[in-house]
Amino acid sequence: MKASKVHAVVAAALESPALITRWQREPQGLRDAGIEPESLNLDALGKFAGLTAKVKHNGLRADFPLTFRLLNVAGLEIELFSAYASYCATSGKRFAATAAGRVQDLMGFMEHWLDFNRHEHVLLWDLMRHESALTTLGNVNAADAHPPVSRDSKARVKRADATPRVQGTIILREMHSNPQFVGKLLQKKAPPLHEVELNSYHFCYWHKEGGEEIDILELDELGYYLLALIDGATSVATLSRMIGGGSKSSKVILRALGQLAELGIISGVRRPVGALTRDVRLPRAKSADRSAHSKK
Amino acid sequence: MKYLDTTKGKPNIGLALGPGVNEFVSEHPELVDYVEIPFEQLRHAPEVASIQEEIPVVLHCASMSVAGFVAPEGATLDAIADAAAHTRTPWIGEHLAFVSADPLVVDDSTTPSPTNLTYTVCPQLSEETVARVAENLAALEARFDQPLIIENSPQYFEVPGSTMPMVDFIGAVLKRSSAGLLLDLSHFLITMLNTGRDPRKDIEKLPLERVLEIHISGLNKQSEIVWDDHATPAPPLIFELLDLVLRRARPKALTFEYNWTPHFPESVLKAHLQRGRQALGLS
Repeated sequence: MKASKVHAVVAAALESPALITRWQREPQGLRDAGIEPESLNLDALGKFAGLTAKVKHNGLRADFPLTFRLLNVAGLEIELFSAYASYCATSGKRFAATAAGRVQDLMGFMEHWLDFNRHEHVLLWDLMRHESALTTLGNVNAADAHPPVSRDSKARVKRADATPRVQGTIILREMHSNPQFVGKLLQKKAPPLHEVELNSYHFCYWHKEGGEEIDILELDELGYYLLALIDGATSVATLSRMIGGGSKSSKVILRALGQLAELGIISGVRRPVGALTRDVRLPRAKSADRSAHSKK
Repeated sequence: MKYLDTTKGKPNIGLALGPGVNEFVSEHPELVDYVEIPFEQLRHAPEVASIQEEIPVVLHCASMSVAGFVAPEGATLDAIADAAAHTRTPWIGEHLAFVSADPLVVDDSTTPSPTNLTYTVCPQLSEETVARVAENLAALEARFDQPLIIENSPQYFEVPGSTMPMVDFIGAVLKRSSAGLLLDLSHFLITMLNTGRDPRKDIEKLPLERVLEIHISGLNKQSEIVWDDHATPAPPLIFELLDLVLRRARPKALTFEYNWTPHFPESVLKAHLQRGRQALGLS
């Protein structure tokens, strides 16, 4: 086989991995291109395309150290990126010019590609969304956050007419693992990821107005869904109706709102006596050490 | 500006430019003699050259398609020559690989121009390629004031039409050329592991007296193939191979390529640099 012809075939396949899929399905196409199908390991060629795609995402490692560590430890790097390279080639999608764009595109692909029956895929998805939330909030400019509301003003309205609003910027994530715990395991030389039991978690990533820190709160379902509904325009009564508590604000919801107010994450409602959670502040600069969290 | 002096006979230790390298070099000038910068990075982000105010630069390259059948553009070669002159690199390291290839005819459509990749690919290991590399190197060497040294590729799969193993290919190329060898020990070990050969035996078959520079990085096995990995520390076997090579070779430079991540553990980096210095007899 002429070397120039072989190089042409290999280069074309690497530039457009869709050809690999096509030749796997129709080996005659490869024969027509001058290469005996049995002489070229198309599967390995596809994986090499994955390596090149992975390298082109090295720019994400700064903000996603745990994600990349998990990909490495779980042996998923090549599997993920070769599938991604093939998907991009088939759909005619080019890698985005910015790191933020690449994250968005990659996560969009992963959401559909991941097999959530596979334990390590579940951990990966949680971890990536965890680091994505931290990165997004880390880039929030204090001036972009909601305008501050005086704490003194919030308890001066009737409960049902009160309109709670979030103080700062939040990102809510439902997960099946605790990424901070997984992150700690990943610091070990041989992380025992199989020890991670899957469960239901509700996290709130919170960048306070004017703050330099990102807090991670683990919430119960009610607190989580209340935060998801609070938009600064919906009254407590409406929230109560939406959450299934009837038109009259239920004590449970008022108490939950009061506890969120106690944390300082919302304003516009009366604060209760006693705190719902213990709040741990996380320095924004230490991205690899963002492992502390608040828990109910 | 600082320039690397390789005429004194003392080998040098360097780092491939990557995230955190500027800071590391500033904090530990005693550990690093030079920084290796890819020409492609210099071309697209000329500001990276400012590091040469702190530390000398060695130029690396992945654009010449030395083992290819499509010649690089003259403008690219001129830009490499300019970068080499500007940095006063003692040599230009280039991959024994191809980055460009003839267009492929699929169905009735013909790609109008050659396929240009942005990374290097292991070529067909054959007499035909050896002859082509010799021609290419002869033509390229005439264009530069600095010597060319060629870096062995990692082999991830058998390239159709190959007739010889990697060590024989490298040996055959060097027999027909005056170029020095940039021995990437990680690429070498990857090739050995992926092709089922014995690295301790094959390393002795290389023309080690031609080694001018050595590269070290990590590797990792994923999806049944061993891959290059500049985010992972080199395994102990790499250092064992380094010691074997240094029995016969007198390289002028040893470069650690840990340049894919800003989170590479500094303690490991320092330990490997020290290990390299020790192997070269510098400490």
